[in-house]
Amino acid sequence: MSGPVSRGAILGALLKKELIAYSRDKLYLFLTLLTLVFVVVIFWVVPDTVEESLTLAVSPPVQTLIEDGVETFRAMGATEEQLAELRQTDLAEGEEGLALVEFENEADMTAVIEGTLEAWRTGEGELVLRDREAGEEKPTDAERVRVDIGIAFPETFISDVATGKEGVGVTVYSDAAVPEEIQGAMTSFVREAAYQLAGKQLPVEMPDEDTIVLGTDRMGDQVSMRDKLIPMLAFMMLLIETFSMASLISVEVLQRTVTAVLVTPARVVDFLTAKTIFGTGLALSQGLIVLALVGAFTAQNWWLLLITMLIGAMMFTGVAMVVGAAGKDFLGQLFYAMLFTVPLLIPAFSVLFPGSAATWVRVLPTFPLLDALVNITIYDAVWADVWRSFALGAAWLVVLFGAGLLVLKRKVESL
Amino acid sequence: MTTPAIKVEKLSFSYGNIQAVKDVSFEVMPGEILGFLGPNGAGKTTTIKVLTGQMPPKSGRAEILGMETGHDDPEIQAQIGVCFEEKNLYLNMSALENLDFFASLFGIKDANSMEVLRRVGLADRAKDRVHSFSKGMRQRMMISRAFINSPKVLFLDEPTDGLDPVTSATIRTTIKEEAERGAAVLLTTHDMFEADQLSDRVAFINEGEIVALDTAENLKLKYGTRSVKVHLRDGDHVREERIPLDEPDSSVRIAEFAASPDLMTIHTEEATLEQIFIELTGRGLAG
Repeated sequence: MSGPVSRGAILGALLKKELIAYSRDKLYLFLTLLTLVFVVVIFWVVPDTVEESLTLAVSPPVQTLIEDGVETFRAMGATEEQLAELRQTDLAEGEEGLALVEFENEADMTAVIEGTLEAWRTGEGELVLRDREAGEEKPTDAERVRVDIGIAFPETFISDVATGKEGVGVTVYSDAAVPEEIQGAMTSFVREAAYQLAGKQLPVEMPDEDTIVLGTDRMGDQVSMRDKLIPMLAFMMLLIETFSMASLISVEVLQRTVTAVLVTPARVVDFLTAKTIFGTGLALSQGLIVLALVGAFTAQNWWLLLITMLIGAMMFTGVAMVVGAAGKDFLGQLFYAMLFTVPLLIPAFSVLFPGSAATWVRVLPTFPLLDALVNITIYDAVWADVWRSFALGAAWLVVLFGAGLLVLKRKVESL
Repeated sequence: MTTPAIKVEKLSFSYGNIQAVKDVSFEVMPGEILGFLGPNGAGKTTTIKVLTGQMPPKSGRAEILGMETGHDDPEIQAQIGVCFEEKNLYLNMSALENLDFFASLFGIKDANSMEVLRRVGLADRAKDRVHSFSKGMRQRMMISRAFINSPKVLFLDEPTDGLDPVTSATIRTTIKEEAERGAAVLLTTHDMFEADQLSDRVAFINEGEIVALDTAENLKLKYGTRSVKVHLRDGDHVREERIPLDEPDSSVRIAEFAASPDLMTIHTEEATLEQIFIELTGRGLAG
């Protein structure tokens, strides 16, 4: 006969049983390991840099244009000093992120932008064109140059503009992927150059900085796809553990082993507590492993990440309780799992796309956590930056976890 | 005077508008086996659910070892063992792990799980996972789990349902051993043979009500008809005759048959519990 048993001993026994059951569930164990490997591989495979520079092509070469203009300016009375300054003109100077490629003729330039010709830059700086379809070999020791946009000047552009010739034509060629804004900027650039060559002032006074960045100027320090993936990968891990936990609960409910447990000194509250501790611990540990493997932790942010993931893990455990109580078989469970977890993952995907999240995304329960995760891992946020997100996330946690507890409690009591 | 291990007074339970148990009253003393005999849906399992604290009664009261039950009470649950009709075992755990887990829920530190498995003939499969067990082996596991805390009160819901005779006999032996140890046993079954063999007393339950409660012998005496069955040769056929023993000319008729050259066999017959149940309720036990 048995004597009185402590709640701690009952909890310990239930947790040990959960661990055994989890370790024997080959499907979810496999999925956990697969996801763990998958998310880490995905993280290290995606680029960690952002291509920020824009390659601008011109034809004919700048020097050709200048040499044509030098004679005209000399005739117009320019000093040798001014002419020497003109010769040293660099179109890309002062334009951060702008690389210049000079083509001998307009046809080659348009062919490269269009993609029918390839442009390669050799180690000596020479530009080599390659017609792949004609079977030309790739030049050795050369790097591919991708041209996004090009400007075709007439060879007498400078002298024509300087002398005030009417109807001077300049063509801007653009790759289809170049945003409209960049195309417009190039047109303005040509117009401004023409005005200055003609010795006329622009009709407006330009500010010292023509681009005013609001917030943190991340020019040269763009958020890479790899960084953007961190919140999604961590949440994917939580999702898989939600499936695992829901499966454990579902099996317990469907096979009615919980009924056998509840006719021992173990009470419903012990059962729910054990599920909470195990589910949260499982999801939290896996989420933290992912964050550790992708190098998200720093000496400053570890505790903020811990809080974020703890709230997330408990929230997903609440969802697992609802799913586990509702699902009648594997497919039913999968259906409910998708129904509940996909909306919770949407904020994680929204991070991958530029721009602010839509209002409907911002009201999803996981948004505050994602917001905190993004701010902590990408923007080095501190407590003062993220406490509001934590508060909102905690409020959602109460709602979702409370719902999970209630649904599962009612289910096991009705068996 | 010995306190009843189970005491039930006017217990009722309903699922919505369906009255599953109606004013049921009975007692089970320590060491006694009470057979709850009734067809499916008669209210046997519902009574066990209320008594084991899985559901509160709608009215009436029930006591286990002098403590009122009908709710989640660890003090009562520490003293009971339950064998459910459905085999709700942890399939991915071994037989030993299953028993050790339940022992730990009762606070038993050095559980004698191997000995319990030996009693039900599963010691050699102790380390095998339960999902590899046959139906009979799982049922024996269910019984062993109910015994793991050496309970003072045992609730056994259809413990031999659908099992082969050998497994059934093993289980019946262990149930008798538990009663001899002093455990009060409430055994629900629709197997009249099992109830007859195991029970000290039998309660007939039908549509939620106890329609008769006594020892099997008393029930047979009270409701049954004693008779003698004879088989006689009749040309190429065999003719069967039944002679009630309680009629005035019974002894004369038996003597006549005994002297007949056509007599093949002669047997005394007593009413079965099933016949009595049918007589009392107008329905069979299998339904």
